[in-house]
Amino acid sequence: MLACLVVDTLGKSESRTAAAARGAALISATSLRKRFGTFTAVDGIDFQVYRGEAFGFLGPNGAGKSSTMRMIGCVAPITSGRLTILGMDPATHGPQIRARLGVVPQQDTLDTELTVRENLYIYGRYFGISRATLEPKVDQLLDFAQLTERAKSKVEPLSGGMKRRLTIARSLINDPEILLLDEPTTGLDPQARHVLWDRLYRLKHSGVTLVLTTHYMDEAEQLCDRLVVMDGGRIVAEGSPRALIAEHSTREVAELRFAPGQNADAARQLIPVIGNDAERVEALADRVLLYVADGETALARCHEIGLTPVSSLVRRSTLEDVFLRLTGRSLVE
Amino acid sequence: MTGPADVLARSSRWQVVEYNLLAARAFWKAVLVVGVLTPLLYVLALGVGLGTVVDNGTHPLGVRYLVFVAPAFLTAAAVQIAAADASYPVMSGFKWQRFYHGMAATPLRPTQIADGQLLWIALRLVANSSAYLAIMACFGGATRWQIVLAVPIATLTGVAFAAPVTALAATVNSEGQAFNVLSRFVVTPMFLFAGTFYPVSRLPEWGRWLAYVSPLWHGTELARDAGIGGLSAPAVLGHLAYLAALLVAGIALARWRFQVRIQK
Repeated sequence: MLACLVVDTLGKSESRTAAAARGAALISATSLRKRFGTFTAVDGIDFQVYRGEAFGFLGPNGAGKSSTMRMIGCVAPITSGRLTILGMDPATHGPQIRARLGVVPQQDTLDTELTVRENLYIYGRYFGISRATLEPKVDQLLDFAQLTERAKSKVEPLSGGMKRRLTIARSLINDPEILLLDEPTTGLDPQARHVLWDRLYRLKHSGVTLVLTTHYMDEAEQLCDRLVVMDGGRIVAEGSPRALIAEHSTREVAELRFAPGQNADAARQLIPVIGNDAERVEALADRVLLYVADGETALARCHEIGLTPVSSLVRRSTLEDVFLRLTGRSLVE
Repeated sequence: MTGPADVLARSSRWQVVEYNLLAARAFWKAVLVVGVLTPLLYVLALGVGLGTVVDNGTHPLGVRYLVFVAPAFLTAAAVQIAAADASYPVMSGFKWQRFYHGMAATPLRPTQIADGQLLWIALRLVANSSAYLAIMACFGGATRWQIVLAVPIATLTGVAFAAPVTALAATVNSEGQAFNVLSRFVVTPMFLFAGTFYPVSRLPEWGRWLAYVSPLWHGTELARDAGIGGLSAPAVLGHLAYLAALLVAGIALARWRFQVRIQK
């Protein structure tokens, strides 16, 4: 239902990629910086977001993702550089830009004393939307967020997943052209995450431009057409998830877990298993990663040279591997 | 479909008031107790009860004690409610419930959010002071029509005090210990020393200065003047000027602190 609604109001019928290829950037940042005193949270980044795409900021905690989002959300002023959103400057047109954005903040800002319905209603009022317009709109959004049955319930007892869905529904109250999602699924259980992804996927298909931050690889791979990898306030790589993996990692990864304390030693012995320059061995504290074209073959070679891992698995490369490759650190923890 | 231009025109501090009204509905019982039961107890216990002791056949203050003390109670109640409304609820909006951060993501500006919060407090004070006036009138505490002016006077006094407290609440990041200090060392002493129960002229010199600097004394003098009369025009203007100056400075401070906290 909401899909139709969004399509109607935005008048979008052309395909995402075609629009992205043609249109001017909805968000454009050049040498964007954010400093808090002597600490530089965002250290001169450049990026463009085009209409209809899902764009991600991927990085560990403290990479500068949230600071970037708060600048795009026209809440925090930029320190230096240039930032244009919907063709306007946040410094002079903050309210005008915010009127056309939807924001899903990292920390919930729902009023837990109010009911689900009241939260949606009052948020619409902040945009100056009339009561008459809001009534049917709230019903549609409740349906979209699968919260119709909880409409009269207070927010307090809702599960984390329900609260997130409510926050997303609330962010759509003004039919935003761009939806900003700051770590939308952090802290949710796997089932709640999948429900949320499904909702976001529907929005994307209805033409809403999504900009999200995440430190979950699978989330970025599922949702993002294009993403930038951030580390220490800088962008270290940019591209589609698939292109980034192709560029910075191998096709497969063999993960080998040895007895505690033996991983580093095993990693040294495994170097001959590696076939060429593109392949490599990565020793982590708890396991050894073999970046190879063919994981099963590498595993077999490992057994041939007399190494017996406690456990092993072969998988496809993910963005986690890209991040590890680019920064030398894992993303989560 | 509402265009962005319309949205901007219709986004205003009144929506912050609307939010507070919606939120207050969730704890209307507490609002009613503060608004009706507290005045009733004060008027009965101190105005009527203590009044019989003070008056004791004569009227040492020129009028019945209830007539003397009720406008001051009304003003003191406004300041107490204002202090309470401007402290924890505002801090919660930034720290616990975070609803101001939600508002900040909409076209509302930080200054509009600060203004709206103070506007809400002002409206609440109008309602509370009106209820207080009705209750004191029921027990004979209102003897002339000018006493209705006590409602705008109490509201002005309350908001003038609430504005800097709001700024404080937007600044502190602790669990609110600052408000305990404020309550113990500012609000309660003000109630005791700002001429609520007795004329300030009965205090020694140092005590009088304590009253002169407190906003409550200025409000009390004005409210009492509405109920009994006796102030000169320059005195009235002086009291009004003090309260207006505090209000203007407080609003500027609150807007600034809201802006800083939201942009942080």
